[in-house]
Amino acid sequence: MSTDADLQVEVTNLVYREAMLLDRRRWDDWIDLYTEDATYWVPAWASEEDTTDDPDTQLNLIYLRNRGGLEDRIFRIETRDSYASYPLDRTVHVVSNVLVENVDGDTIEATANCLVHSYGKKGSLTRGGMYDFTLTRINGDLKISRKKIVFIDDRLEGPIDVYHL
Amino acid sequence: MDGDTVMRDFASMVDDRVDEGMFRIDRSIYTDEVVFDAEMDNIFESSWIFLCHENQIARHGDYFATEMGRQPVFISRQEDDSIGCFINACSHRGALLTPLKQGNAKVLTCRFHGWSYNCAGRCLQIKNQDTGFPEEGFDRTHFNLRPIAKLENYRGFIFGSLSEDVPTLAEHLGPAAKWIDLLADQSTKGLEVVPGSSTYVIRGNWKLQAENGVDGYHVSTVHRVFASTIVNRQAKEEHTGMKKTEAGRITGQVISRGYDLGGGHMSICAQHTTPEVRPIYERRDELRGRLPEADVDWILNRGRNLYLFPNMLLMDNPSTQIRLMKPVSAGMVEVTVYCVAPIGESKDARAARLRKFEDFYLTAGMATSDDVAALEDCHDGSFAYASKWNEFNRGLSEMIEGGDEDANTLGFEPATTSMDWDHETLFHGMYRQWRKLMTNGK
Repeated sequence: MSTDADLQVEVTNLVYREAMLLDRRRWDDWIDLYTEDATYWVPAWASEEDTTDDPDTQLNLIYLRNRGGLEDRIFRIETRDSYASYPLDRTVHVVSNVLVENVDGDTIEATANCLVHSYGKKGSLTRGGMYDFTLTRINGDLKISRKKIVFIDDRLEGPIDVYHL
Repeated sequence: MDGDTVMRDFASMVDDRVDEGMFRIDRSIYTDEVVFDAEMDNIFESSWIFLCHENQIARHGDYFATEMGRQPVFISRQEDDSIGCFINACSHRGALLTPLKQGNAKVLTCRFHGWSYNCAGRCLQIKNQDTGFPEEGFDRTHFNLRPIAKLENYRGFIFGSLSEDVPTLAEHLGPAAKWIDLLADQSTKGLEVVPGSSTYVIRGNWKLQAENGVDGYHVSTVHRVFASTIVNRQAKEEHTGMKKTEAGRITGQVISRGYDLGGGHMSICAQHTTPEVRPIYERRDELRGRLPEADVDWILNRGRNLYLFPNMLLMDNPSTQIRLMKPVSAGMVEVTVYCVAPIGESKDARAARLRKFEDFYLTAGMATSDDVAALEDCHDGSFAYASKWNEFNRGLSEMIEGGDEDANTLGFEPATTSMDWDHETLFHGMYRQWRKLMTNGK
């Protein structure tokens, strides 16, 4: 197998693994996929055609500046004190179209698509999104140092949290 | 009434016997589609409602498409810089004229048969007019777009009514105007709506969202987890300056107030424990130089939520937002939230304002999401007609007629005051206004 093909498999496995860990609620393992300084960004729609693109001056659905923001979300779920998170929706992520877009030393840019089917007390919903990953190789392992999710739905039904995305 | 109209006694749904210590609401007002249709007729399509902020239509040709009740309208910035609001339906066959929710078009051309209109609603051109209409006596002005009955701007906030038969906007707002001032006065250059918004649907009645926006009592339960998350985060890492989010108001250990402002409007406020983390704090000296002391105190030191009957919430808490409600049915309301901010604030303050907004105010955030889940449960519980009353008596024995000393000093005259935002008497005002409009008692 060529180096490109190895990398493709490695990146695809990481993207699949993240989906699996979210759906199986293995939160600590999920958080471990991210670097300490990872940014996690879900822009808002600024118009029918464009999302917001500058977090310093524009609104986002989620903009977390480091892994602590993800830890907050998990803390919240695990307290069982969050109205929106107890009982927790069940989810199935179907992730595909994984493409390695750029490799620069230990930094890899990749894209993927997701369909997330969720089921909760109001019934089931399927939502779609596009992932932009920046992956960084640290001590041999690929970690997520940036994830941007363009959530195509612009009229959201019910609460949304990291496990829906 | 029409023969097939289902009759309801709306007056009896608000059981207002405050003298006997009882104020309660029939829960069917949240779930009954007959009530909903009458609300569209009697409230949303015949009284003042909030439309948009003037900053959203800043330039000639800018339009903002929305609905007044069930009826589509658009607000536009006209050539002479004035603001117009028109029924958003081609005079020909009724297609919506605006392709986008917000856009710019000095001429709106219907995409169905090509009729066109300017920003003042004038019908400019009818495709192939010559071949279809007689040359003699044809009056194209007959096809001008219909303006809404009333349109007024208060400090940048644009309100409209589909009915002529309403008080002036100043009369409608009453003492609530002072609460708008406390936001509008934060910059001499005015306010701006920050790019990006979020629209979500709550699978529950619009009045539950209205109540929730000025319900201080739920904060220490529903948002307890927000406070504990923030405390947990701050224990793990050093948070300073505007990155810090305070938790004091949420745990309820601060001075708070609730006001029935009359006209269905209501407000709550609570003291900030750490005003220095608020984005506005950087402007304190400038504010002190041009505003009365009490105004500056309220702007810097009090988190404030204002409900403007029937469809808008204006909040200045960890961040600042306009929340616009569009009822879809008895069981569904569509909500759009906008971050509104003083023009000219520093880059750091703007970024801090946005991060606080995202943390708290969105259905993808860590507080509004919990509100939405709670409201959806309230809606589902409201089908329990076997236990049909929601009582709003908490704080009744301590309710003050008129204003307290703080209200008097700031200069607004509420109908009643609660000295604790856990009290629920402010809701009497909302439901008295509801009953008045629903029984045509304008």
